[in-house]
Formats: sequence, structure tokens, C-alpha cells
Amino acid sequence: MYFKSILIFFFLFNLTSCSDKKEIAYNYDGTFSSEKGGTLIDAMSGEPSNLISMIAGDSASSAISGNIFNKLIKYDKNLELAPEIAEKWTISSDQKTITFQLKKNLKWSDGHNLTSEDVLFTWKLVTDDKTRTPYGSDYKLVDKAEAPDPQTFRVVYKQAYAPALDSWATLQILPKHILKDEDINRTFCSRKPVGSSYYKLAQWVNGEKLTLEASPSSVMGEPNISNLTSRFIPDTSSQFLELIADNIDLMNINPIQFARVIPSRPDLKNKLALYKELGNSYTYLGFNSKHLPFNDIKVRQAINYAIDKQEIIDGVLLGLGEPVASPYKPGTRWSDQKLHPYPYDKNKALNLLREAGFNDTNHDGILEKDGKPFSFEILTNQNKQREMTAVLIQRRLKDVGIDVKIRVIEWASFVNQFIKTGDFDAVILGWSLSLDPDQYNIWHSSQQKPGQFNFIGYNNKEVDQLLEEGRTELNPDKREKIYHAFSKILLSDSPVIYLYAGYGLTAMSKRIKGVESPTPPAGIAYNSYEWFIPSTVRRNEIAQ
Amino acid sequence: MLNYLIKRLLWMIPMLIGISLISFFIMHLAPGDITASESAFNPKASEESRQKLRALYNLDKPLVTQYSLWLKRIVKLDFGNSFASHQRPVLWETKDDKGNITKGMIQDALPITLMINLIGLLIIFVLSIFLGVVSAVNQNRWPDRLITIIVFIGFAVPGFWLALLLMYWTGVTHSWLPISGLHSVGYEKMGLMAQYLDLIKHLILPVFVSSLGGLASISLYVRNGMLDVLQQEFITTARAKGLTENKVVYGHALRNTLLPLITIVGLSIPGLIGGSVIGESIFAISGMGKLFFDAVLMRDFPVVMGILTIGSVLTLFGNLIADIGYAWADPRIRRGITN
Repeated sequence: MYFKSILIFFFLFNLTSCSDKKEIAYNYDGTFSSEKGGTLIDAMSGEPSNLISMIAGDSASSAISGNIFNKLIKYDKNLELAPEIAEKWTISSDQKTITFQLKKNLKWSDGHNLTSEDVLFTWKLVTDDKTRTPYGSDYKLVDKAEAPDPQTFRVVYKQAYAPALDSWATLQILPKHILKDEDINRTFCSRKPVGSSYYKLAQWVNGEKLTLEASPSSVMGEPNISNLTSRFIPDTSSQFLELIADNIDLMNINPIQFARVIPSRPDLKNKLALYKELGNSYTYLGFNSKHLPFNDIKVRQAINYAIDKQEIIDGVLLGLGEPVASPYKPGTRWSDQKLHPYPYDKNKALNLLREAGFNDTNHDGILEKDGKPFSFEILTNQNKQREMTAVLIQRRLKDVGIDVKIRVIEWASFVNQFIKTGDFDAVILGWSLSLDPDQYNIWHSSQQKPGQFNFIGYNNKEVDQLLEEGRTELNPDKREKIYHAFSKILLSDSPVIYLYAGYGLTAMSKRIKGVESPTPPAGIAYNSYEWFIPSTVRRNEIAQ
Repeated sequence: MLNYLIKRLLWMIPMLIGISLISFFIMHLAPGDITASESAFNPKASEESRQKLRALYNLDKPLVTQYSLWLKRIVKLDFGNSFASHQRPVLWETKDDKGNITKGMIQDALPITLMINLIGLLIIFVLSIFLGVVSAVNQNRWPDRLITIIVFIGFAVPGFWLALLLMYWTGVTHSWLPISGLHSVGYEKMGLMAQYLDLIKHLILPVFVSSLGGLASISLYVRNGMLDVLQQEFITTARAKGLTENKVVYGHALRNTLLPLITIVGLSIPGLIGGSVIGESIFAISGMGKLFFDAVLMRDFPVVMGILTIGSVLTLFGNLIADIGYAWADPRIRRGITN
């Protein structure tokens, strides 16, 4: 991708001089008041597979289905839990029962009433063993679910389960009256959904595009933009060409396009607005704690000091990222502002390595312990940014006398032959900066079996205990303390080295108004129903 | 001749079983399955639920059992459904009891790829024959040199690079042609003629880029074949008879040169259903190449096997058609078969 971007980059310079295209001169500046109508066209790299998100599992599907279906509760612009179709929710004093009070007069887009029966039905579907969903486990912890009246939905857990609220903020509520006699795995509803949110499906052409239109019976009110069209364009270079030719309004761009290409061209700067937001994932270097010498905390810390994170952010992301010190999104309450990433300090790294017993006894530039040189292999999957990161790490570690080899492997082989078997020294991978702070599956020592997610073999009794405590505490303030303590231990133990959290970069046509700037923690899309396209700058009215 | 045909057709059955067996096991040699895709690497998705999925897809059974299950379905021409969460049928559309039609994946992708490749093949052959004949007639003079150079440049230029350049030039700087996709966004609202015109406009670049590579080999093939034939004695005879040069070149030499091309046409039949992954990605055309590539990456076994089976059937038929065509055109071969 980078190679292609660079090629395009050069040609943009060479070819701009001979541009004779008669651009329609839109005037994007000035103040516009919000109005309804218009079409927003964006580009997606992958086609959604299934608009029922509990079955789908790919990001394209959830991006579309999120506009069609509602959840009980949601994350607001500051990533705090807020009502969606539930007006409010109450937690019992023993923290085991959660009662959701639904709003009144909710309707599906086909006119049927949306009641707590639908919620109960959705819960039954997601916990049914016949349903092909990978996400059932959170909901199976519910001991009893009931819908005593059309506005009330109550779940009782066997024991208090803190991530429960997060799980109800991700489960999209499905229509019982449509699906009750259908096989959820094969239902046509996944291609012709009946939802309750802002939009409904207007058209879906396989392999080409998908169009949503504003739903008049939306329980959330009517969105400003009437139609959303997503074109499926797998290649990001082609997407970019479509963007600069003004055929699409919105796409995710890469750091080169964001920092170099668009700013260097006045014509593009005039019609495109650039937005950056902290993405939802971080990239890390993780050690296999079961392999020598990574079981030694001093070695892990030494490597952490020896890697210059800012250099990686500048080199790989062109500065468009942030270092992180905990597995939580900076700016949210779970991320402890008092924690700071390990600074780059070569001498500290050398001292720690010496303390751990590593010395360059044969003066070949590589450290040895017990006669064995310190050499290890970093594995990563085919991801340009991760490969470049590995190269920068390799050079920095050579400075302190550690020999690093890099191996890039296709994803399925990577997971099955190396991650599952534990046959690796170190990996560069990413985890999501989860909105709920519970990370039991990733760090708890019980989660080390093949296929589970603590594949680095991290084992710390104190962390185990904090993770267990955090799971049963539903009070956000108390949870905050628990997870700050957890993050602190994790940082000092350094089982993984946090490398960076990259920004999500978006280029958007300036015809789209109402985008909040600066970007709130939830990202620019959180108020996309408030975006509008003034009729004077709409594409269709003028071009056709 | 009929005996020969029947024999050939019967031979295809063990061949097909062999091909499918080998493809099936090679496919399973690659580590991982559908449950190990990158999006499944999600702490919210537990290992138990992945095991459950594996059981639903019979992926937990021994390979031999999986193969015999597949074979049992395929003899009924049932290509099954994709493992992907949309569960679409691999080959052809199905209808549920409410009358909703789910289109097959190959059904969607094949016509697009076939259309581009057929147009491409037609252009390649017509142009190659023309270029090859001009080169041969003007051997080692400037038209020959020029054609060879141009054809080789076309062959050597990376397709994706040329595609992007052309997209930029014709789509962004000049807006002569659309950049990607097969239809404009407002396609449904156009009249019939406008729809055809729209499709043609969208096809120009992909067809041009995809046929550029084939041009080089076939035009050189024609050129060399033509040179061989032109040196043969019957050409001298024809010239001695006092035939015009046009009649010698097009009436006698070209016809003999075209014989081996029949084989090439036959062999390009299976190629017709295979699309280029890179080309299709760049032009945002959802054809067979992209379908196969994505299926392999996802370990979507029914789709991979479906495409391989159709590909091998077409290859075998292509061979057969090439042989028959050859026999039809060349009496010497025909006699060899019937005896």
C-alpha cells in the first residue's frame, strides 16, 4: 500500500500542471444552517457479509448494521454509558440484577411495536447454541432474563458481572416478529433487515454498493442526511482517486495522504477537510514469558527502555499517533494520566541487562549470558506498519547488543503455528483499547490454553486478583481505582511494550457540515446523524 | 470420432476426482480455518464458541470424512454454502419459502469476469494477428522493431501501476472515464442506452489493462509462426504461380499460421473464468479473482473447492475442444484420431 501511495504521490505532482478538468466550483465556505436531504457516498474496503451483527463479526457489517439497529444503551461522545432505547437502567444493591426501562412507543421500521419481548428474544438468540455467533459467552452468564411488562427488561446474573453493561451496549436488538420462525443463521433478514434506528436498507448490489435511506419511523428521530451510499472499493489507492475526483465524500486515509499529499495540493485542501481521532487499538511488542530470558522482568524493562517509541510514531505513522502507558484509550477515565511510557534511555537499558547477567564477553557487539548470545525473533503478520516497526526496533536493540531477527507470516499460519502453540519469542500485534476496562481474557493467568488470549503467558497473582475484583464491581468510581492499580503493575512488569496507538485519519468532502471539531473521544462519527449537506453544494442536484 | 469423444469424456471422471482430491488436501495443508480469521482474534470471542463453529462446519471431523461429505454433495451438483457469515450458496441462487432469492457467489462473480476476459481475448487475438502479420511481413524493418518494442513494454509494465496512472489521467485530471466500479452510482435511474454506455465506459480501462499482457505473447507467436510458414516451399510455389502478395500472405500463409492458435484458444478457456486479483481490487470489480483470493485468505473451503472444481472441469473441456478443433482444421490429426 505504501509503495503505491508513494507512486501516486509522485504522479500527483507531475500531472497537476496539465489538469484541464472543468471542476464545478462549489463554495464550501460560509455558514450553513442544518437541513435535511442529500446523499453521502463513502468507500468501504470490504463488503459487509451479514447485517445481523451477532452473526457477522466483520467491521464492515457492524458499521452498516449500527445505522439500522438499536442497542439498549450506548457509549456517548465521551465514551460514558448513556441511554439508547432504554430510557434508564438500575442496578440492584447486590449488583446482580440490572433492570432496563425501555422508552415508550418504540416502533420497528415496518410499523410493529418494539418492546422488551424483542430484547428478551434477542438475548435468547445470542445464547442459543444453534446460533453461529462467537459472542455468546458474555450473555450466557445471565442466570435469568425476563420481560415482566412491555417496557421492562430485567437480567439476573449468577454473580455480579461488571462488563455486563458493556455487553448490553454492543448487542443490537433484533425484531422478534420477523425472526421468531426463522433460522437465524440463514435468515434472509440478514440481507433485508427490519431495524429501528436512523436508517433502513434501500438497496444492496453485491460487490458494488449498499444504500441506506432515512427511516421515517426511526426511534432516534430523523437523521439530516437522507441517503448513505457505501461503495465497495477494495483498493485504498483507488478509493483515494475517487475521493480527489469528488466521486466519494468520505474515506479513511493513510498517514502519507494525510500529512503529505493533501496538504501539498491547494485544490485538494479547498475541498477536503481532514480529521484525526485516536483509534481504538494499540500496537505492542509482546514477549513469550515462558521463553528465556523474557521471564526476567529486568530484561523486559531493559528492552522497553531501549526502544524509542516516539521514533516509531514519527517514522511509521509520520507523527500521527500517541504513545500509551496502559491498555486504555487516553482521555477516558480508565486511562491513568499519572502513568507515563518508558522513556528512551539506552544507559538504563544497558545497566538492567548487565544486572540480568548479560555481558559482551567475546566483544562481538552482542551480549551473552552463560555463553549464549542474546538473540531472538520478532514475529508479525503481513501488516506494513508492523513490519516497519519491527525494523526500527531491530536497529535500536542492536545498539544495546541484542540481535533481532524479523519474520513476517500470513495471518492464519501466524495464529495456528505460532500463537496457539506458544512457539515464539516475541510478537508485534495489536489489541483494541477496549471501552470496558475488563481485560480478564488477555491478562489473567488462567487464560493461557491454546486458543485463549493470554498467549504471552503473563502470570501475576496481584493482577489476577485485581482483574477478578474488577469484574464483580459495577460502581464506575471503584472500578476506576482497580483498573488504575492494574495498569500500574502491568506497566512496571512490562509483559508487553506499548508501542503506539495510531490515529484514525479521515478525509471528508467539505460539503458535509456539522462535523464536530475538535474530535470528541468517541470519534467524529458519533453524531453523524446530525451531519448535513447544504442543498447548494449537493453533488446530485448540480451534476445530473 | 464418436468413440473417441466418449472415451475422452469418461476419462474426465477419474481425472476430476483426482484433481479434487489433491486440491482438497492441499487446501487443508494450509494452517487455520474459517474460525481463525483476523476479525475472529477478538477477546470477546471465546475458544468454546470457535469450537462450536468448527463442529457446525464439520471441521472437527477427519479429513477423509470431510472429503467424502464434500464428494457426496458435489455428485448431486450441490456446491454447498459459503462458510462466511452470509452463508450464501457457492454456485447458484436459492429460494427460501418466502420467495426471497439469495444469489450464488460464483453466479455473481462469473459473468463479470467472463465478460471482461472474453472481450479481452477477442481484442488480444484480433490485434495480435494483425500485429504479428505486420511484423512478419516487415521482418527486421522498422514496423517490426516498433511493434516488438511496444508489445514488450506493454508486457513489462506492472499492471497495477499502469492502471492507477490511467485512472488518474482519464478519471481525475480529465474526467473522461469513470475511475472504478462497473456502474455509476445513479445507474438504476438511467435509460437502457445510457446504461449500456455507462457499462462500456467503465469497461474500457479494465479491459485495456488486462489484455495488454496477453498481446505480447500471442503477437510474437503469430509473428514467428508466420515467418516459419513464409519460408516453406508451398509459399514459393504460390509466389511462382504469380499470386498477388496479399493472396500469398492472407490466403495461404496466415491460414497455416492460425492452426496452432486453436490450441491456444482452447487452453485459454479455463483462464476465462480466472480474474486478476490485483486488477479487480484496483478497479473495484467483484470478479472471480477477488472471490477466490478472499476465500483462500478466509479459509472458506466450500468456495475454494467450488471454484477449483469449475476451473478443472473447464480446463479439461478446453483441452477437449482444442483437440477437436485441431482435428477439424487439420486433416492429418483427424485421420490419426479416427484410426
